[in-house]
Amino acid sequence: MKLTFKHGIHPKERKELAADSPIEVMPAGAKVYIPLIQHIGAPAEACVAAGDRVKAGTIVGKAASYVSANVFSSVSGTVSGIVRRTNAAGRKIPHVVIDNDGEYEEETLPPLVDPTKEEIIARCKEAGIVGMGGATFPTHVKLESKTPIKALIINGSECEPYITTDYRLMLERPENVVSGIILLAKALGVDTVLVGIEGNKKDAIDRMIYASDGIEGILIHELKTKYPQGGEKQLIYALTKEKVPNGGLPSDVGYIVLNISTAYAVYEACVLGRPCYARFMTVSGEAIARPANLYVRTGVPFSEVVDRLGVKEEYVKAVSGGPMMGISLSDLTPSVSKGSSALLLLTEREIRAVRPTTCINCARCASVCPMNLMPMMTDALILQDKIKEAKEYYPMSCIECGCCAYVCPAKRPLVQSQRLAKKLIRELKI
Amino acid sequence: MQENSTRKLLVSSSPHVGSGLTTEKIMLHVIIALSFTLVAGVVIFGVYSLLTVALCVASCVCGETLFNLIRKRPNTVKDLSAVVTGMILGLNLPPTVPFYVPIVGGFVAIMLVKMLFGGLGRNFANPAATARVFLLLSWGTQMMEYIRPIDYASGALTVKDFFVGFVDNAAYVTSATPLAEVKSAAGTGAVDVDLLDMFLGNIPGTIGEVCAIAIIAAAIYLIAFKIIDWKIPLTYFAGIALFSLIFYKNGWNFILPNLLGGGVLFAGVFMLTDYATSPNTRVGTIIFAVGAALLTILIRRYGGMNEGASFAILLMNLLVPLIDKACKPHPFGYRKPPKAKKGGKEAAV
Ligand code: SF4
Ligand code: SF4
Repeated sequence: MKLTFKHGIHPKERKELAADSPIEVMPAGAKVYIPLIQHIGAPAEACVAAGDRVKAGTIVGKAASYVSANVFSSVSGTVSGIVRRTNAAGRKIPHVVIDNDGEYEEETLPPLVDPTKEEIIARCKEAGIVGMGGATFPTHVKLESKTPIKALIINGSECEPYITTDYRLMLERPENVVSGIILLAKALGVDTVLVGIEGNKKDAIDRMIYASDGIEGILIHELKTKYPQGGEKQLIYALTKEKVPNGGLPSDVGYIVLNISTAYAVYEACVLGRPCYARFMTVSGEAIARPANLYVRTGVPFSEVVDRLGVKEEYVKAVSGGPMMGISLSDLTPSVSKGSSALLLLTEREIRAVRPTTCINCARCASVCPMNLMPMMTDALILQDKIKEAKEYYPMSCIECGCCAYVCPAKRPLVQSQRLAKKLIRELKI
Repeated sequence: MQENSTRKLLVSSSPHVGSGLTTEKIMLHVIIALSFTLVAGVVIFGVYSLLTVALCVASCVCGETLFNLIRKRPNTVKDLSAVVTGMILGLNLPPTVPFYVPIVGGFVAIMLVKMLFGGLGRNFANPAATARVFLLLSWGTQMMEYIRPIDYASGALTVKDFFVGFVDNAAYVTSATPLAEVKSAAGTGAVDVDLLDMFLGNIPGTIGEVCAIAIIAAAIYLIAFKIIDWKIPLTYFAGIALFSLIFYKNGWNFILPNLLGGGVLFAGVFMLTDYATSPNTRVGTIIFAVGAALLTILIRRYGGMNEGASFAILLMNLLVPLIDKACKPHPFGYRKPPKAKKGGKEAAV
């Protein structure tokens, strides 16, 4: 039996759109706009000014606190200023604007040879590495866990529909991914690494097994293809049958979860000395003329990415990230950041938008919820302003995976209700 | 690039894709499944049955439209749930009820039971089951008058056979349902019913409930399209079997007659599975189905009626909010908060 978690859904995968496109390096345009917030935590503080010369890899924003991350220029050229622009989340935040000279001169950190635990963690911090699956939590914070860690878990499930970057990485550069994994294991001081990959990526599993052959402690596991297999708690349960306590962190049961692109970023930072200023991104959706997996520099506006690949059909929604948990964009001005795992242009046909109607109490939402919640209750109670009662249905445990809203025949905005409930409970301190 | 930035894009909360299943599609599937039993009913009892069901549907749809008009709300009939309610009610009526019975029944189901409580999904009691009970109380005799199926075997079929109900009712033999035999045999423990006839539907009864094969086919259809949860009917049927064993002398003899006779199969597949009036919790669903089975058997064995499914469902409907509350699930990874020490002052916080 394949390893998996309880409940969840089988959304249309749509990975076929981009899965067979090899990773393609995309050059930046005349200007890049580097957001100073590309991570969870305090915004980075700008450390360059207009007129400064920078190279690809020059630090332009310094981590402002422990939970924060350095931000780097992605091209060589001249800083033309710091402006406020809308980011993918729809917020106006400061961006460092750099005029690209097209030379792509690099500023690298010294490559690490046989580094110690501390050196790797320091490098992750210095290179501004964050969770590259989209969560963007600073990696060095995870690596310096206070609780004892039994094993490192590498998330190769890539369970969101459409996205294929981790798949391409495992297929094209498995040795580099594995060397990143080894570095991470060393940083955590663990002997065991569990790598979970969904069964729809058989060839990636084979390549990873091949690449990790002879390396003790790395175990590659096939997981059932089911969403949200890559949710931290679901993944840990699938691989170890251990449950992260409600409201707790993976480290509470002795695991740290990181994903494939993060491992690759660690390889880049430690072995090549390249800080985190570029990433892999799937550009897909039926409206995209040529769906692709790009190696793209941060700061490149989404509109330029779309122009490169072309639009073949009218789209009604643009999404940064996956279709289940990503953020919909009001336009394509935001630029690529460390967390941009995908850019999707979706047609009417794909999103199947229907106006919400009343809940018919079919309990489908509850039956698919991987956290075992009752989303219809939170939805109904929040609409009646019964926040105390809504709290009884544990909105705080919701991981916002979207399974409930996906299956709802009445198209209730269930995730939105859960978020609203969380917000109100926090604000009103109920 | 210009073109891109001026385009109007939808902005909404995640997720950005959906399953494509809608309320209307669900209802459409249920209508298709109900048609299996309707076709069987018309073959067994003649065309008047079709009229009865059609009148129920029409009065449900009109009732809902009227209600929405009065309340100045957008009309909700296009979600097709009124059609489903109408069909279920119609299929729960005897084949020859006078035409005003389905009309009144449809209005009661929609106006009093469904719409007054806020419409689709909000009603606590099953509209069709409630209306059936209401009709039983109002027109006891007509609601208990069951005709024999058309006798295809005799070979002397006339057109009139198919039009029973339109023409002189009295000419047609009314007959006791097998459940009357089940009831009277409860004391002796020896039941004299033809199980094959019960399976094929060659017995007196309501339009939709008699043909077991049609109902089983409908159940398979609904389960295959994931419209109903198979656990509900199966638990109910298992409960009927179990309680037959417990409450009847020579219980083995009563399992199949109780399952195939009366509305048990129909209710288990189409009425217990009604979304709004069944529990939303996993454990609750099982308790609900077992409870309905227990009540059905108790009514049949000790109550004044031969049939008990509709009443049992209605009673269980009333308990659903309680059941759901008691069975509220804990989230994944939930751990009991550590018990406060006796007399500890912090305990209250
Ligand atoms: S309630 Fe939250 S955790 Fe459960 S399915 Fe919905 S979004 Fe996912
Ligand atoms: S899935 Fe939608 S319609 Fe069904 S119970 Fe949940 S919220 Fe209501």
